[in-house]
This record gives sequence, structure tokens and C-alpha cells, in this order.
Amino acid sequence: MTTRPRPKVAFFDFTSCEGCQLTVVDLLQDHPELLDAVEIVEFREAMSEKLPLDERYTIAFVEGSCTRASDEARLKSIRERADFLIALGACADLGGVNTIRNVMPLQEVREYVYGDKADWYETYPARPIKAVVKVDAAIPGCPIDRNEFAKAVTHLLQGRLPNLPDYPLCIECKALGTVCMYQRGQACLGPVTRAGCGAICPAVGYGCEGCRGFVPSPNLASMREVMREAGVGDEEIESRLRIFLTYQMMKLEGVTS
Amino acid sequence: MSLRIMPKSALKAWIQRLQQRSFRIVGPKALHGRYVFADITDPDELAIDYPTTLSAPKQFLLPPREVLFSFNADTMDMTAHIEAEPTVLFGVHTCDMHAIQLLDTVQNNGFADQHYRARRDALYLVSIECLKPCSAQCFCKDMETYSITETYDVHLADMGDAYAVRVGSDKGEELLAGFTNIWEGADSDQQRLNEVMSQKWQNFEFRLDATLSQLPEVLGAAMHSAHWDELGDICLACGACTQVCPTCYCFDVTDEVDLTLTHGVRLRAWDSCQIEKFAVVAGNHNFRSQLGRRQRHRFMRKGKYQYEAYGKMGCVGCGRCGTTCPVAITCIKTFNHLTQESAERQAAVEVKA
Ligand code: SF4
Ligand code: SF4
Ligand code: SF4
Ligand code: SF4
Ligand code: SF4
Repeated sequence: MTTRPRPKVAFFDFTSCEGCQLTVVDLLQDHPELLDAVEIVEFREAMSEKLPLDERYTIAFVEGSCTRASDEARLKSIRERADFLIALGACADLGGVNTIRNVMPLQEVREYVYGDKADWYETYPARPIKAVVKVDAAIPGCPIDRNEFAKAVTHLLQGRLPNLPDYPLCIECKALGTVCMYQRGQACLGPVTRAGCGAICPAVGYGCEGCRGFVPSPNLASMREVMREAGVGDEEIESRLRIFLTYQMMKLEGVTS
Repeated sequence: MSLRIMPKSALKAWIQRLQQRSFRIVGPKALHGRYVFADITDPDELAIDYPTTLSAPKQFLLPPREVLFSFNADTMDMTAHIEAEPTVLFGVHTCDMHAIQLLDTVQNNGFADQHYRARRDALYLVSIECLKPCSAQCFCKDMETYSITETYDVHLADMGDAYAVRVGSDKGEELLAGFTNIWEGADSDQQRLNEVMSQKWQNFEFRLDATLSQLPEVLGAAMHSAHWDELGDICLACGACTQVCPTCYCFDVTDEVDLTLTHGVRLRAWDSCQIEKFAVVAGNHNFRSQLGRRQRHRFMRKGKYQYEAYGKMGCVGCGRCGTTCPVAITCIKTFNHLTQESAERQAAVEVKA
């Protein structure tokens, strides 16, 4: 093997469940060669060391969404120190499940979660990190797909941005030979959701919930009609479109937060 | 070609025998109340009387994803991956046989695709006569694909308690070699088969308003039809229609290397003309960015372009795209709509004249 300088890689988290970082830890168990290819300089999930403040990260992976004003300064300082900043998972890339609350009055949400301590906690409508800083690429999914993460790192090592699928999930689902959820009387967001997960939800009998985000030009009017035809009520259609996709939906509808 | 007779009860024993001879057996199998082509381990799983499958059997010739070759990026050593396991494909309907014939023509054209060639050579086709239409969406009578092509190895026709068996090639003889529960048909068997066949034709109806020979012209005249944008408005660009189509063969090629950046593979995977980036070329220009244009392209391929290039229609009338499409865009409706438009244009011209 030719020796190449090892890029300095760091992981950071904002509002998230850490599932995406855990997926990376999990990947390291059976791909130790990743540690030969990169030098991990910060990773709270796995080590306590930190990179000296005057050094740069070659690649900063950021998990989680921005949910309070004070997140922004930290995120911006990571951006300044990183050659590449990559959103890791649905929370960072889309805002993810954290954005469900964006359609509700914030104070109510706060009180629901923190009760009489509500005012102790700072918060604002959740947003993907690209709403705050420039993001070079994203690894989609809730959680990310471990193989796709390895692929993305490989592409970055080759000096190019990750080339990950953004075509609809149905392409993967059909290639697998799965019987379509609509033919089993259930709804699925596959036609408007980007592929890459291997269409795992339909493969085990669940309609896709869109955790990887929309394809570049989703035909939502038609998608809603298809779900309606499948017997899904309007309210449920809207809530399905808002499990992972609230932020994207609000953007498409011209409502910004 | 002489007629042979195999009792239906012998099918299982024949399959078991082929399995013992190390053939991979694939065929129609029930799944969630539908049918798919899949590996048959237990002969009882084979649903040879299936109506139709969701996807075409092309996956055994052109897998959804395959490694073409592996390479070492440091030494530039390359190793071709041409794998083909002797496989018997059971229960192929006549429309799918026509589709395989088209794939053969396309893949053997110019530089034959060696990966396809190897799989095709190792694939044994046991087709079965369709005695009635397989779905509400099929229109094989219109596409002239409801009788068998010459390319079968063994062809079966259901005669109630027995199959009328025709052997079409040496490969077919190879499949039956040493199998004894089959015998030469008598004149009375031939007569019975003739009866079955004469009843068959009347079970099928024409479902298109245009004839096969009119279709390329109807499509040619529809180049600027407003209907494409009507389809584009409802189409989800999900690509399901092309994935399940027995004649769609478009693919994408990518290289993937491992984390050491040393060992890699070149992959080929199914692509679809319906997805947004299919026609993106250098400079990020997309010459088919509109959905309506992509629909037009698909139907032109099916009813015109393939015919002009290879003398065979790109649509064999299997109806699968119509069954699978979430927004019910179907060949029958589309072709008939365009035929109607064409007739209206014609009438307008005649009124003027
Ligand atoms: S994307 Fe999903 S798995 Fe990843 S951090 Fe967010 S909630 Fe957890
Ligand atoms: S199950 Fe979902 S992803 Fe699969 S083909 Fe149907 S709509 Fe597409
Ligand atoms: S099928 Fe849909 S919800 Fe399930 S993992 Fe894939 S993108 Fe996410
Ligand atoms: S275009 Fe549709 S009906 Fe025609 S061969 Fe393909 S899947 Fe079958
Ligand atoms: S299956 Fe239907 S919705 Fe999907 S791309 Fe084809 S025509 Fe469009």
C-alpha cells in the first residue's frame, strides 16, 4: 500500500440521539483499516483527546441539528477550522425529527418537555446545519448507513465530494424484488425519498418514512394523491410528511423558520 | 419437432433431478399474494400457473447490480468477473420470451456484451404457453407476443393432466436427458393440443386501438403532443416502470475502491430514464429535465425507437409497468390516448381539405 498523509478527522454532535456516531463506532469494529486511512483527532463517543486549537480538521463530521442560538457560534468555529464539513445523518442534514416541533408553538413544546423548568432551557426552531454554515456534503439517513459512510470517506480520501444516490428509493426497492407496499395496501414515501439505505423498510414490511430526505424534485401533489388513493387520510398524510421532512416541507411551502 | 407428453405430476421429479444435476432453478413463486421470479429450492414453491410476476425475469441475464471487473489501483492489474451458473428459468411466458429475444439482439449487437453472453449461454429457458390473458394490463395480442418465439429450450403447454412438451434446442435435450417420465406424443395428443390452442386465441382481446404496425407512426406524430406534459404532471419519476420492464436495459457504471484506495471494482447497476439525473451530461446540462420529456422518451422507446433500430418492438405488452405505476400511467391508456389524438388530427386535416 502506498503511504498517504492521513487526513485529520473529527466528529461533533449537536441535538441528536448519537445514533449516527454510534454507527461509525460500529463500523470501526469490522473496518479497522479506516484507522489506517484517517487520523481521528476528536470523537467524544470514542476518545477524550482534542486537536490543539491552532490545527485544522481535514474533515469534520457533524451530527445533530441546531436547536438554539448558542449552537451557532460553536458550529461556525468548527466550520472555520474544517477543510470539509459533512453533515452526518438526518438531524444534521434535514433538521430531522427535531424539526417536528417547528409547527407547534415553541413555549408549549418547552412546557410539555420541561414542565415548570421550561424557562431554564434555551431553544429555537430546529434547523439543519446548512441553515447556519456552508456544508460540503451530507450523509443522509436516520441513522446513516454504515456502508454509505465508508463509501463517503473513500470518496473524500480520493479528493472528491461523496457521490451518493439521490434517485428515488423505488429504484433500489424494485432491484431487491420487494413487493411494493402500495400493492400490500400500505403507504410508502419511497417515490419521493432518496435511495441509499437499500430500501430496508419496505423489505421488512414498513412503508418508507422519508428519513433520507426528498429526491431533488419531489412531486408532492402526486405523492399525496397516491397516498389518498391508498386510503390514508389527509391528516395522516401530512404527519407522515413531517416525521423527518418538516424543515424541507416548510422550505418547499415557502415557510421559513 | 415432435411432441412429447409429460404428466403434470412428473414436473416435480424433473426439477428435483435437475437440482441433483447442480442446475440452479428459478421460476415464479408467490410472495405477499403476488408473484416474483426467484430461486426455487423446494419444487413445491414453483407456481407455474402464475398469472404474471411483478418484475421481469431479466434479472437473471442483467442483474440489478454486478461487478464487471476488479482492479488494483496501484498496479493497474484487472480481473474480469464473468460468472455464469447453469440456471434453468421455469415458466417464462411468451411475452417475456419475446423480450429476451430483443435483449439477445441488443446485447449481441456490435461488440457482444460478454457478461450478458456468459449468462445467456448458461441460461436454459423453459417457457409455458399462456392460455388466457395474465392481467388487466397485458396486451400481448396487440403486440403479437402471445405466441412462442423460436428461442425456447423446452416449451410447455398445459393440457389439463399433462404438459405438451416441445424441445427447441440441444440445451432442451440436455435438460430432459435421462428423464423417463416423458414420452412421444401420439396423434391423439397432437389433436388435443390443437384443441387447446384453438381455444386459446379467442380468450385474448385486442386492447389497443392502433395495430402493431400503426404504432410507430402514431408515436412519431405525437412528438409534440400535450399529453406528455399531462403525464409529466402526475408522474413521480420513481423509475418503477422501467425497473420492472422486461426490455429495459439501461445501466450506470461506477467504480468503487476500498478504504485503502488500492482495491476496487467496476460496478454496473440498473439505471432508469425516468429519474431526474439520467440525462445529465458534462457541464451539468440536463437534456431531459422535464418529466414529460422523460415520459415521452420511454414511450417512444417502447413503441417506435426499438422497432426502428432492431425490427422488434421495445414493448412486449406484458402490462407490468401499468400494474406497478403508483399513479396508474399505463401503456394501454397512453397508446390509446395518442391514437385518439392522431385520429382527431387526421379528421381535422380532412375537414380542411
Ligand atoms: S439522524 Fe437519527 S440516528 Fe442520527 S443522530 Fe439524528 S436521530 Fe439519531
Ligand atoms: S414499496 Fe415504496 S419504495 Fe418500494 S416500490 Fe413501492 S413505493 Fe417504491
Ligand atoms: S426505507 Fe425510508 S425510512 Fe427506511 S431507512 Fe430507507 S429512507 Fe429511511
Ligand atoms: S413497456 Fe410496460 S407493458 Fe411494455 S414491455 Fe415494458 S413493462 Fe411490459
Ligand atoms: S412508475 Fe409511474 S410514476 Fe413511476 S416513473 Fe414510471 S410512470 Fe412515473
